Amino acid sequence: MAMRQTPLTCSGHTRPVVDLAFSGITPFGYFLISACKDGKPMLRQGDTGDWIGTFVGHKGAVWGATLNTDATKAATAAADFTAKVWDAVSGAEVLTLAHKHIVKSVNFTKDSNCLLTGGNDKVLRIYDLSKPEEAPQEIPGHTASIKKALWCHDEQHILSASEDRTVRLWDRNTLEVVKTLSFDTSVSNMEYLADGDVVLITYGKTIAFYNAHSLDLIKTIDTPANIHSASLHPEKDFVVAGGDDFKLYKYDYSTMEELESYKGHFGPVHSVRFSPDGELYASGSEDGTLRLWQTAVGKTYGLWKCVLPEDLVSENPEPLLPVPAEIKA
Amino acid sequence: MKTPVSVLRLPRGPDPNSRGFDPSSPRFIALCPTSISACNEPGTDAGSLQTEQHARSMMRERFLRCLLSMANKQIQFDMYERVKVNATFGASDIDVLNFQVSDLQTPIGVQSEALIRCQDVISYSFDM
Repeated sequence: MAMRQTPLTCSGHTRPVVDLAFSGITPFGYFLISACKDGKPMLRQGDTGDWIGTFVGHKGAVWGATLNTDATKAATAAADFTAKVWDAVSGAEVLTLAHKHIVKSVNFTKDSNCLLTGGNDKVLRIYDLSKPEEAPQEIPGHTASIKKALWCHDEQHILSASEDRTVRLWDRNTLEVVKTLSFDTSVSNMEYLADGDVVLITYGKTIAFYNAHSLDLIKTIDTPANIHSASLHPEKDFVVAGGDDFKLYKYDYSTMEELESYKGHFGPVHSVRFSPDGELYASGSEDGTLRLWQTAVGKTYGLWKCVLPEDLVSENPEPLLPVPAEIKA
Repeated sequence: MKTPVSVLRLPRGPDPNSRGFDPSSPRFIALCPTSISACNEPGTDAGSLQTEQHARSMMRERFLRCLLSMANKQIQFDMYERVKVNATFGASDIDVLNFQVSDLQTPIGVQSEALIRCQDVISYSFDM
């Protein structure tokens, strides 16, 4: 029996949510961090969306946020010209890294020892978190603001996407550019999947997949709207995307056909990410909310409960809510 | 007509009174190192641990009493960018992130009610 998707809305932010990231799977589950223009990034339990805490300290809009693999550290990039590193267990601010302009992107290495930052001053920076007083390594080259910077290939390379309409692959040791991809329009977002060595790039109404070493095009998916962000399922079954028309789109990765589209957000969708186990995906929107969506609609997982017709008749100790009413602001 | 998926409850939202990171949560208890440095150094005995703990409690109590004694007094705040302002102290929030003050005297006029961000303050002084 086909079921209709019930997204779970996570409220709390008071301004647009512009970025979000999941941690890896930890003994305590997995976690989600959201970057918001209200300057207060939030940490949530990944499978339920329950709020855990708010990182307080930035004095401007937070443009980028990330967690390390075991969710013990968080990093944020903000319009106050700083990137901050936080203890993601206590919420305490651990480090403030001053920059010369708005910082847009932050990314930890797998061992959480180094932080990669990029922003409006067009320079990529690598900070050694065990020696924070030391000056970071700098990689200039982009001719416009950097939107996203990611470690890849076991941290031997860096991928960066910029408003200069290029995506560049850099060698982490020589700090030189290895390959460049040029586009006719700005790149809205980028995601790297180590498993399969794929980099996903969104621009205009296109979701494009490239081999992360050669930057050869693998395939593209054309969508009906300008896409701001897309994510590939960990098992490469599905692609989810969101953009200007407020909807979430789901595509089959092999056939590239559109499977479903979901309405729900009241504003453009800025960021979409699959959870590390692929069971759900989260979307962050201009409307200030995050929404969690099921990959397999109707499956019992997190706060979603599969109700069979027999269950509705029998005594059920858990209170089951029908479609939760949307609280319209 | 498809049936919508049922949910057990909605995701919990933020607590309006605190910034979260519940210290009684299993994750916090398992992962958060104690803030008492004597505990983390090898070879410390129970005695020095107790001394440090005692010193910390004393300092905390002093700080809280200081905040209490500041109520309704004129305070001078020295802040970054060579800012020196006077105001009447009202209260602090639980995490000491903001101070609520009245009659804040600024170069562009007197603000009858204001919040001062604690991270902007270098020091403050007052007559007891």
